[in-house]
Amino acid sequence: MRLGFLVDLSRCMGCMACAVSCKAENDVPLHSWRLRVKYIDQGEFPEVKRHFVPLRCNHCENAPCERICPVSALHYLPNGIVNVDHNRCIGCASCMMACPYNAIYIDPITNSADKCTYCAHRIEVGMMPACVVACPTHANIFGDLDDPESEISKYLKEHKDVMVRKPELNTKPKHFYVRGSTVALDPLASERPEGYTLFTEVKFLDHIGGH
Amino acid sequence: MLGAEVTFDVALPKVVWGWLVSTNMWAKSIATGTFLLGLYFIKKYPEKDTFFRKWIPILGLIFIGITLLVTVLDLHHMFRFWKIFLFAHFTSAVTLGAWVVSGFVIVLLISFWSWITGNKKLFDRVMIPGFVLAFFSTIYTAGIMGEATARELWVFPAEMIQMLLSAALAGSATYLLIMALYKVEMEEVKRELGYILIGSAFLSGAMYLGEILFARMHSEFSHRAVEILTFGELAPMFWLGIFLTFVIPIVMVGIANENKRYEYTLLGSISALVGLWLVKHSWLLAPQMLPLS
Repeated sequence: MRLGFLVDLSRCMGCMACAVSCKAENDVPLHSWRLRVKYIDQGEFPEVKRHFVPLRCNHCENAPCERICPVSALHYLPNGIVNVDHNRCIGCASCMMACPYNAIYIDPITNSADKCTYCAHRIEVGMMPACVVACPTHANIFGDLDDPESEISKYLKEHKDVMVRKPELNTKPKHFYVRGSTVALDPLASERPEGYTLFTEVKFLDHIGGH
Repeated sequence: MLGAEVTFDVALPKVVWGWLVSTNMWAKSIATGTFLLGLYFIKKYPEKDTFFRKWIPILGLIFIGITLLVTVLDLHHMFRFWKIFLFAHFTSAVTLGAWVVSGFVIVLLISFWSWITGNKKLFDRVMIPGFVLAFFSTIYTAGIMGEATARELWVFPAEMIQMLLSAALAGSATYLLIMALYKVEMEEVKRELGYILIGSAFLSGAMYLGEILFARMHSEFSHRAVEILTFGELAPMFWLGIFLTFVIPIVMVGIANENKRYEYTLLGSISALVGLWLVKHSWLLAPQMLPLS
């Protein structure tokens, strides 16, 4: 079994239901995110387009975070999920240096590394990840990549425009995007001007844990 | 349609590895550099080995102590440090480094005991393992940087050579500083240390310039990181570091060696050590200034 995720970006409307449900399900503290949705505006009025991009851990098959973790706090589950053991983590932040997707954070309460686990605790009891359940447009498609009959496998087969983030790094992500674009998926393809945060003026977090 | 800009996102962590990590690399360069150069001089000038048999353990233990202290302080769970030995994950260069440095500390303790008791043979017996451990203690950080897939500026084989050159530069500068401060009269050794400092500074400086040039062509990410380093937010620190590490020491130590005016080595070696920290720190920060997602 190889669990994977696919986001159909043409269906995403940026409602943040996935981000909120993830926060609630996993008790993610303030200023930390396992899943977030980024808005990117492209063009100039009247020819303008807004892209919504949900971003979470890619559960790479060749995960740099798993490789660099000195104590195996980041480890693979048999179903392909890259899981975190908070009690083992020593908080060296090497995983944050290694992850090319900025998917890992140091939890300011536990001082341990944390990230999306595809809701491994829900999957264990046969439930879908919280973000999949909450999505009103079924933009999040989750399932077994090894099962040709799974919805995700069929989706991947039917669509020719499947993309992953930073394929050149050979991390082999198991998180795919359909109907995406470079502007949406490449963080360097868009500017980050001052004041892009709608509800806060905090642009960067200087404090990332327990020092 | 014209350009694109992020209109909504969350606040992102900026610098994750800061001055504690830079200090770790800097202090480790001094500890391993003084050890490796010390061995060389003991072998080359056995009649003048007293100086090195004394300063190898003293400098080694002080600076590897600083390295270990800042490493542990940088952990968000500093009291879980022991887990690196109990739950060791050997694909990680962090783990390998912890084990290798631990071995190096044992060698330094033995060399300290050898100096205290005057038992030269004891230190002689650990010279070869000490050499191996000091060598790998020097380069393992390049392994960590190589595994930091997200920070493409660091993922170059040149990092390993830079670590070795940093050790040669820091080791020679530290010995020259000690010799100037304690007015040690060993002209041949001073001259040779001066040439090692000049050579390593020249090569390291040339490699930095090469890395800046070639990293631009490697990827968009490393191109942007180099821009920040050379013309952006970090440029004053980086260029000051380059000037202090590579230009001033070459000039000052060059004058000292040519004119036998060894008092100039004091300024040259201090400049090299201060500059080395600045260069390492700015190199560490640059790829952390860019958004990854």
